[in-house]
Amino acid sequence: MVNRILVVEDDTAISELICMNLEVAGYQVIPVMDGGSVEEVVKKEQPIDLALLDIMLPGRDGFELLDVMKQSSIPVIYITAKGDVNSKIKGLRSGAEDYIVKPFEILELLVRVEKVLERTGKQREVIQVRDLEIHLSEHKVTRDGEPVNLKPMEYDLLVLLAKNKNVAFTREQLLNEVWGSNYLGETRTIDVHIGQLRKKLNLAGVIKTIPKIGYRLEE
Amino acid sequence: MKLWQKISLLTAAILLISMAVYGGVAVYETANYNLNQTKVAGARQVRTTAYALGQSLENMEADELSETANRAYLQFLLRRYSSRDFMLLQDWELVANTTDYELTGYQLSQFDSMEPVSAFQQKNGRYLLIVGQQIPMTDVGETTYQLLMIRDISDLYENVLTQIGMFLVMLGLIVAIAINIIFWIIRRMLKPLRDLQEAAGAISQGQLGRRVRVRSRDEVGALSVSFNQMAEKIEYQMEELEQVSERRRQLLGSLAHELKTPMTSIIGYSDTLLHVKINEEQQKKALTHINNECRRLERLSGKMMNLLELYNNDTIHMEAYPVRRLLSQVAELEKYHLKEKGIYLAVECQDEELVMDVDLMESVLVNLIDNAMKASKEGDTIVVVAEENRILVKDNGRGIPPEEIPRITEAFYMVDKSRSKKAGGIGLGLALCSQIVKLHGARLEIRSKLGVGTEISVIFPEQKKREEKA
Repeated sequence: MVNRILVVEDDTAISELICMNLEVAGYQVIPVMDGGSVEEVVKKEQPIDLALLDIMLPGRDGFELLDVMKQSSIPVIYITAKGDVNSKIKGLRSGAEDYIVKPFEILELLVRVEKVLERTGKQREVIQVRDLEIHLSEHKVTRDGEPVNLKPMEYDLLVLLAKNKNVAFTREQLLNEVWGSNYLGETRTIDVHIGQLRKKLNLAGVIKTIPKIGYRLEE
Repeated sequence: MKLWQKISLLTAAILLISMAVYGGVAVYETANYNLNQTKVAGARQVRTTAYALGQSLENMEADELSETANRAYLQFLLRRYSSRDFMLLQDWELVANTTDYELTGYQLSQFDSMEPVSAFQQKNGRYLLIVGQQIPMTDVGETTYQLLMIRDISDLYENVLTQIGMFLVMLGLIVAIAINIIFWIIRRMLKPLRDLQEAAGAISQGQLGRRVRVRSRDEVGALSVSFNQMAEKIEYQMEELEQVSERRRQLLGSLAHELKTPMTSIIGYSDTLLHVKINEEQQKKALTHINNECRRLERLSGKMMNLLELYNNDTIHMEAYPVRRLLSQVAELEKYHLKEKGIYLAVECQDEELVMDVDLMESVLVNLIDNAMKASKEGDTIVVVAEENRILVKDNGRGIPPEEIPRITEAFYMVDKSRSKKAGGIGLGLALCSQIVKLHGARLEIRSKLGVGTEISVIFPEQKKREEKA
């Protein structure tokens, strides 16, 4: 089951940017360009797992739309150009799950979306990578129903890459996300674990090395 | 030292000195006069006494008397003709004395005169007046007599001292009172200066509304009036400056916000191209968006430069220019654009000349016509009318909601943001127009009705036109 995300953004370029990246990462998106028609779309397009709302919108602004989302219990992330503390506080106080300030990096957007889905329990259960199935709640990877043995760090690394399919991570980003920012290890550690994953899961053509950047799980 | 203290002390010092000089002279003159009076009185007394004694002595037959009897007689005579205070000398030898004094080796020769001679002597802390003369006798024998009067005039001196003392007390009192009064008056007179100082302090502390009360019509009052005028001016200019800086701050804020949208797209798409595996079609889309947004930024920066130049540079080239020529230039510029959208342009014009910077005014009209075109639909007509001191651009488009009209000349303000943006607008056109119009001393008049259309007029100042006609 794929997560469905509502994207409310009036600037065409930015709307397409968000949708493109979410789609590539494996989400299904419903773009809406003006605040006035959001309520209608929400009714029609259920179920929706998450809404990304711009605050300054024609029709109804993001703060007004939050109530509509609450009624349908859709978690909300604001995406806005207003980067000042007061706007952030107002946004988070009013009940949004997170707040992303423009301009943002794609990885930031994807990670925040993923964390909110995880926190609100709307995250998909199983991620499919080729012939592999990753069962998130059971922390288990199976091939054709047969479990594959992975070390905890290998598992975390696989999940991170699989959740953000087609997105390249630098070695530093991977270290940060999997081992935590306090880990003082070398980036060589990443290369070793990637090597293990490729060998154990037969993913040599799937987890690709991107020159000068890092690694990407492609599908 | 404070000014009021200086003035008060100076006045007091002058008063003190002049009174002291006057008092000293007066006391001295009085004392001198009294002394002279005493001398004259003494001399008169001595003269009459000497005369009377002379008469008696002429009749006396001294030879017939013994030494002792002679002395007794002379003593008797002296008592008879005078009161106390006299000494009678016979051949400069004391023979009779009614005073309490003794004759010591005093310079008696000075009294060897037929007229009374006065002298003073100080003895045992007492002041004595001594008047003496020869006793006149018609029959000048061998024996001569001299008369001396000795009078204690210490009272006179004491009197002078008392007077000086009294005068000093009076002087002290008067000066003390005068100083107090002078202090009070001068402090009062200088109070407005203190007020001015306080007010100036308050103003420099930022209380720009502070004024002083004008208490008098003298120089200080005039100063207060000028000060108030200055404060008024400063307050006004400060307000104006604050408004200008507030407008600039808003402009900068809007600009920063306006930059964020294209930046978000550019960063986002380039980030996607770098890190995300997307297909060729998506790549092309991303590049197109980056390209578009960069062009948008370019347009924005160009317009901003224009606007800033207008803010900073007042050296525009003004000349009288025929309106008909201006309008035909604008129509030429917009021809292609109009044709593309299928909108007509109608120009009505009188043969007027207006004082303007042609390039700037051209860009105002292009902007206004562009706006009219955005509001119109295919087949509509935009009317441009020039009459007297007014150029009017009219469309039959959607119109502007009344509550939005006051704000549409603000930079980055757009009535319908998403639509304007799609049409390539960045919300600076009218801000630019209004700035240019302001530089011409002209104004923009905006009339609009939702669904009926919009009329925007550039109204040139009446005065310039008359000058031109004259």
